[in-house]
Amino acid sequence: MAAHPASPVPAQPAWLRPSRPGWPGPAQPAPPGLVLPAPPMVDLWWFDARAEVVRPADAAVMDAGERRRARALLSALDQHRFQVAHVLLRRVLAGYLAAAPGDLRFGRQRCPRCGRRLGRPVLLPGPGPAPFFSLAHSGDLVLIAVAARPVGADLEQDRAGCVCPVAGVLHPADAAALARLAEPDRHRAVIGCWVRAEAVLKCTGEGIGHGLSSLRVGLASGSTGRNRRVRGCSVRGLAAPPGYQAAVALAGPDAVTSRPMAALPGPG
Amino acid sequence: MTTATDVTASELREILATLTGRDELLAIPAGTPLFGGAVALDSLTGTLLLREIQRRFGVDVAAEDLNLDALATLGTLAEFVAARRGQAG
Repeated sequence: MAAHPASPVPAQPAWLRPSRPGWPGPAQPAPPGLVLPAPPMVDLWWFDARAEVVRPADAAVMDAGERRRARALLSALDQHRFQVAHVLLRRVLAGYLAAAPGDLRFGRQRCPRCGRRLGRPVLLPGPGPAPFFSLAHSGDLVLIAVAARPVGADLEQDRAGCVCPVAGVLHPADAAALARLAEPDRHRAVIGCWVRAEAVLKCTGEGIGHGLSSLRVGLASGSTGRNRRVRGCSVRGLAAPPGYQAAVALAGPDAVTSRPMAALPGPG
Repeated sequence: MTTATDVTASELREILATLTGRDELLAIPAGTPLFGGAVALDSLTGTLLLREIQRRFGVDVAAEDLNLDALATLGTLAEFVAARRGQAG
């Protein structure tokens, strides 16, 4: 796989990979050093599950709920991708908190629309201010966004089949613009609208059950498009590896910016 | 005896396998969770599933079940669709 197009992109810190020297062990705190970016900057961590190895000791940092969800998946490949996403989420967040990955506790906020506890995943209160984060994974890739404000990230792999029916759940103006495109450009544009709308929902914490049709995210021009203000957030498409589309949304009025924190290692 | 729900469940398995490219979904039991469990549908595939159900059976699950409780398992979705399919037209 080609390297992530943004540059310069630092290599993964050695401490993210327990199999490499420098990691103090899954039960010990990560070395201090990661500092939350000042808004409207968002830290973006990209990973390729094909390059990651999850040993039993690595998976032990997951809590009982995460392990149960991993075991429930039908295929070994899906189990591996899930473990990579959730173990690396813990390691990344532990790096900002100088905490042990296995000590992090997650909960869910209430959905601001219906009050059900299906809202944004959050770190439960610890000794310090918890960073805001958003996890997305699709196909082989994992994207973790970390920020000092509520943040949402979405990532989707291009689909082999037609995704045009999805346009019907998007904002009517976006759906009309999509209908004017010819296939296969329309397929890519549909996914582009979808990831931007999903990033907004993940940022606000609204459940997708409330629908996407009120979120006018617009069609991207070029590879990522411009910032848009939607539902109190700033949302923007991201430069993603070939075959994928991604977006990030940040709460607040100022245009979201981002910095990649780790180069995709590519398949091992 | 094969019920309408059983028939709908079989059709839903075929739709799921087509949308995901995962043949193993043709054999999942009715009690299998669709999200967060064995099937682990993502939201985009879930939306494609609901759009295909609307196209094929005339049932708008999202409009009729605002909390989307019908999406808990293959069986609950099949029961929901089987009870309404054909009513729209």
